[in-house]
Order: sequence, then structure tokens, then C-alpha cells
Amino acid sequence: MTRAEFIARLKNGLVGLPTTTANDIVADYETHFEDGLAAGRTEAEVAAALGDPARLARELKAEAGIQRWAQEKNPSAAAAAVFAVLGLGAIDILILLPLLMGVVGTLFGFFIAAIALFFVGGGIMVAGPFVGFPGGPLAAILMGLGLMAGAIFVGALLTIVTVWLVNGLVWFARLHYRLLKPALEPETTPSVTGASA
Amino acid sequence: MPETIEIQLKKGVLGLCVLALLNRADSYAYEIASRLSDAIDMGEGTIYPLMRRMQGDGLVETYLVESSSGPSRKYYRLTEAGRAALAAQSAEWTAFTRAVDAVVAAPDAAPPHQDQPEGAQ
Repeated sequence: MTRAEFIARLKNGLVGLPTTTANDIVADYETHFEDGLAAGRTEAEVAAALGDPARLARELKAEAGIQRWAQEKNPSAAAAAVFAVLGLGAIDILILLPLLMGVVGTLFGFFIAAIALFFVGGGIMVAGPFVGFPGGPLAAILMGLGLMAGAIFVGALLTIVTVWLVNGLVWFARLHYRLLKPALEPETTPSVTGASA
Repeated sequence: MPETIEIQLKKGVLGLCVLALLNRADSYAYEIASRLSDAIDMGEGTIYPLMRRMQGDGLVETYLVESSSGPSRKYYRLTEAGRAALAAQSAEWTAFTRAVDAVVAAPDAAPPHQDQPEGAQ
């Protein structure tokens, strides 16, 4: 593989990362080629020693996704981290997938229930006093407030569980993958992708 | 399965090796990669994901050094957290290898499990 081919494949694999991050990574590998050539190696030797650019790109993307999740805890960062980690294609994680889907589905259901409970509470609090709620207006307001507080509590609890779950998945992925596997097992990877030329 | 053990070991100690190298002297990625690929036969490309991770974890930081030939070079150096991580990990590593050595290289004359028959009775 020539240097141009290697860099082209690497860039191809890095699509989706912020441009500055991707440029930074590409510059690192360009420098590596410069240093290798200066040390008297050929482009093909350097490329072979570096390993499969597509797999390296997947690792770098997973790393970037995990780092973003560490910095900003929001749904889009969580999704990016989870998909990047799944993109590594580590078998152990794929086996976990059905279980993960079940857990995600259950969490989603609870979230919807919490939101519904919140609005039911709001409805009872606002409308209860006017439609003759059993126990009188005060009971209606208190019950509505209670339901809303309960819904907020459940929502907060679910958020904590979700953050914990994503952290757990990232931890598991790192433990089993360490973001190093491809170059240590270079022989087993080429058949996976159609990128061999 | 010796191969598997070797891979798992390398995976685990690569970060430790990088920390140890940088503790001796600041270095740049190509140098780290070539020294480690000679020493423990790792793919050179993996150094970049690893360095980015260590930078993200705050174990190393980078600075640019002007070079007379070509563009300036990116050097890595250990942070305080990096030094602490090195101390912790090398202690862990020493304890681990000592324990494994004791088991693997144990002489045949090692005392057998004497309390086991008693416990069974």
C-alpha cells in the first residue's frame, strides 16, 4: 500500500469526526510516514507496520466518541459513544446487543411513563379543584403535586441509570478491546472488510 | 493457548511501557512507536489511538518543538497524573510478575497443601 492509499483510506474511515480532529489525526500519520522515509524505509514498509487504516480509523473514532461522552453527558454524545463502540465490532459486545436492546427499550418505556405521570399530575392539580375531585380542591392540588414530584424523581433516577449504563458499556468495551486489538492481530482482520486491494 | 495470553499481556502493558518511556525522556510518536514495536512487537499504528486516549485521560500532554528541517514536531511529556499512573501501574506489574514467577518457577520441593486433607475429613 502506498502512502497516498493509506491516507485516503484513513480519511475515508474518519468521516463523521469534527474536521479539526480528523485533520489532527491525519497529520499524525503523515508525520509518521515522513519520519519513516527519513529513516530509510519505503512507503510500503511504513504502511505495513502501521496496520489496516480502516481499523485504525474505527479505533480513533471510538476513542473520540468516548472522550466526547466523558466531557458532555447528553443524549447525542451518548448515542455517538455507543455507536462508535459498537462500530469496533468486538464480538463480546455484539453478543451483548440483544440484552442491551431490551434494557434500552425498558428504560425508554419508563421514561415515557414518567412523562405521562408528570402530565397526569399536572392535570389533576389544575383541573381537579373545578370538577369536584373526591376529598376537595386541596386534596386534588396535593395529589397532583405529589404525582409530579414522583414523576420528576423517577425521571432523575432513570437519567442516572442511563448515564451509568453508557459508562458501563464504554468500560466493558475498553476492557475487552483496549482499542489495540487490530494491530496486535493483523492477520485475522483483512477478511472482515472488503477494503483489501 | 500461548498466543492469547501474549496478546492479552501486550494489550495490558502497552500503556505502562509508554508511560515508562516518557518518564525517562520526552519523546515523539514515531520514536515511541519504533522503540515499542522493536521491544514488544506491536503494530506501530496503534500508538496514535493510545496517545490520544492518554492525552484525553490527562496522563500526557503535548508541546511543539521547532525543527530546522520541515514542520515543528509534536512531543509528548508526562503530567503529574501520568507519573502517578506510572507509579501505580509499575507497582501492580511488579507484584503481578512476582506472583506469576513464584507459581510458574516454583521448585518441585514446594510444600504441598497440607491443610486440605484435614479440611476434607
